[in-house]
Amino acid sequence: MALNPFFLQGSPTEQGLVQDLVNEHLRMFGIEVYYIPRKLLKTDNIIREVQSSKFDDNFIIEAYLNNHEGYSPGSDIMSKFGITLKNELSLIISRERFEEFISPFLSEIIAGEPSYSPGEKLVFATRPKEGDLIFFPLGERLFELKHVEFENPFYQLGKNYVYELKCELFEYEDEEISTGIDEIESTLSDTGYITDLKLVAFGGSAQCQAIVSPYAGVNEIIITNDGYGYTRTPTVTIDPPPDFTLDRSLLLGATSLNRDISKATAVAITTSVGGVKSISKILITNSGYGYIDPPKVRITGGGGTGATAICGITTNLITRIHILDKGDRYYQPPTITISGPVGGGTTATAITKISSGRVSEVLLVNAGSGYTSLPTITVSPPPIVGFGTYIVSEEVTGTLSGTSAIVKYWENPGKDIDKILRVYLNNGTFNVGENIVGSASSAIYTLKSYDLDATTSDNYSQNDEIQQEAELIVDFSESNPFGTY
Amino acid sequence: MLGTYYYHHIIRKTIVAFGTLFNDIHIQHQNDSDQVISDMKVPLAYGPMQKFLAKIQQQEKLNKPVAITLPRMSFEMTSIRYDSTRKTSVTQSFKASDGQNLKKVYMPVPYNIGFELNILTKLNDDSLQIVEQILPYFQPAFTLTIDLVDSIGEKRDIPLNLDDVSFRDDYEGDFSERRALIYTLKFTAKTYLFGPIADTTEGLIRKVQVDLYTNTDIVSAKREMRYTVVPDPIDAEPGDDFGFNENWEFFNDSKTYSPTQQKDI
Repeated sequence: MALNPFFLQGSPTEQGLVQDLVNEHLRMFGIEVYYIPRKLLKTDNIIREVQSSKFDDNFIIEAYLNNHEGYSPGSDIMSKFGITLKNELSLIISRERFEEFISPFLSEIIAGEPSYSPGEKLVFATRPKEGDLIFFPLGERLFELKHVEFENPFYQLGKNYVYELKCELFEYEDEEISTGIDEIESTLSDTGYITDLKLVAFGGSAQCQAIVSPYAGVNEIIITNDGYGYTRTPTVTIDPPPDFTLDRSLLLGATSLNRDISKATAVAITTSVGGVKSISKILITNSGYGYIDPPKVRITGGGGTGATAICGITTNLITRIHILDKGDRYYQPPTITISGPVGGGTTATAITKISSGRVSEVLLVNAGSGYTSLPTITVSPPPIVGFGTYIVSEEVTGTLSGTSAIVKYWENPGKDIDKILRVYLNNGTFNVGENIVGSASSAIYTLKSYDLDATTSDNYSQNDEIQQEAELIVDFSESNPFGTY
Repeated sequence: MLGTYYYHHIIRKTIVAFGTLFNDIHIQHQNDSDQVISDMKVPLAYGPMQKFLAKIQQQEKLNKPVAITLPRMSFEMTSIRYDSTRKTSVTQSFKASDGQNLKKVYMPVPYNIGFELNILTKLNDDSLQIVEQILPYFQPAFTLTIDLVDSIGEKRDIPLNLDDVSFRDDYEGDFSERRALIYTLKFTAKTYLFGPIADTTEGLIRKVQVDLYTNTDIVSAKREMRYTVVPDPIDAEPGDDFGFNENWEFFNDSKTYSPTQQKDI
């Protein structure tokens, strides 16, 4: 035996005493930090990186703050990518405390982790891991472990008693951080790639009524040539009827306000296909009455040329549809349904237009025929009444788009005021007008608007500003090819 | 000699046009079942900025909880060089209309503006997603049409040449340094710089009239037929999409057109 057997180099009881003293000191002079282990969602074992992670557990542990003089000077760096913070933190935790109070829980996490490569898992429970997070409550900052020093002090009495955790501020991408700790959630509520959804709860249905005419009017306009070059909406003019002396009292549903409805009127809808701007359809705003022969339809202006159209006439048709109540909080044009004529004929069809959330216009696609009484007109209601309270970190889903995201923040200022739902980890784009449903809370509200781009909250992004300026000077007649994933 | 004030914002416009190419690039992340769990639009900004502005904009709350959010891209202008290969005669000029008056414009001067697009990502795969969405469009150039001088509606095709792609991946070293993944794409925009735009006394030709005679005696012969042509619409500008209205007239009144009085006498 090389060593003197009469001197102990550290007995288990001595080592235990030192460990107890270390633990005692850490409890007296340390601070409480949150240890947040990383869970792996997706790894790539060719280019060797963890591509998606989740942080949804936390453990409080006492730690001694080794930064005696604070962060090193010059930690805020101005770079071509904006401001980057390089703050570093050094914490000392008890090895025994970690192994006894955190490791058993970490062992449970291992079972659910995907393998990095066959037979190999990246998660283990025996020691603090690089890549895990530490929430430092004094600065309310999130640090990432970059190195675990385990041999300093160097084998006092033959054993090491502490881990020194060398950390630097976390570089945040789209990792899911849902620890359930209010302090952490509120600190991160406006950090990262977040999207603010404006939601609404209440709306009113629009109501419409038809005017039915027994006289002949324009029931449909058919485009015979859609023309080209229509950069603006052209004017559609329909010749007036020859007879203005018909008895107006036979018009069902007409009021004294509807004096000048004998002349048919219509509007053109333009479209652009392959860079050619042409007319897609012509819709009737007023069918007129008193026509004997189909009148001529003229299309002028709009910067284009070549468009022509013809129309048909019929009796017992809908002359126009006027709006009794414009409704409220429509974010997509509602559908309008017109009941069919009693005793046979053609059912009229129409579409709606909205402006500022209200129905502004009803346009007849076909004015129908065979109507001898007023039809029933139904306008689809605005989105349903919303209710509930979203829960932070729950998943929300758009009912039409199927897009889901995780809630970061929810603010409901009160009835009739737009609500703010801040989300992140969007896996697609939401549709304005769809309902957003919370998976845990079952809260449901309607999406009024949102910035289509999930943006970082630190005001770095200039994407929108650049786009707006470029639209004035760049001729993207063939559209920006860099626009889709 | 120099000193006529003018400023067409051409270099600024070129910066904006260059930036807008890259302002709608997305990356996606999947979970272990290959379902998309995150779709991010990559933030883009012009790199250089006032330092105090960066502080008050990006670090409004002094206590930022994280170091930076990634990925992000920045671009900046790096050089302005004369391009002698595109030189044209300095005395050549062309006419352009500002909508009311005809302007005389000297041929622009060709300049190459160098740009750098930098991509900073947390993951190598993020970089690859972004770069793959950019590179195929440059063979090696992608051409943008830019309204360089809006007062005369002067649109020019500006080729953007992708000159070089390089990247830095600092994965080596001790564990005190973080890995930095930065891709740098260098471009050249072949733009034109315009000098001052002068007024001219000349006007746009809006009507052409040709009188035809039945013999070549220009003293005694009287016009028999007149051809006139005007643009349709009559107020069309040179850059508009317009047609012509032609008109033929026949005369037997033995009159002759007087250009000075602009009528038949």
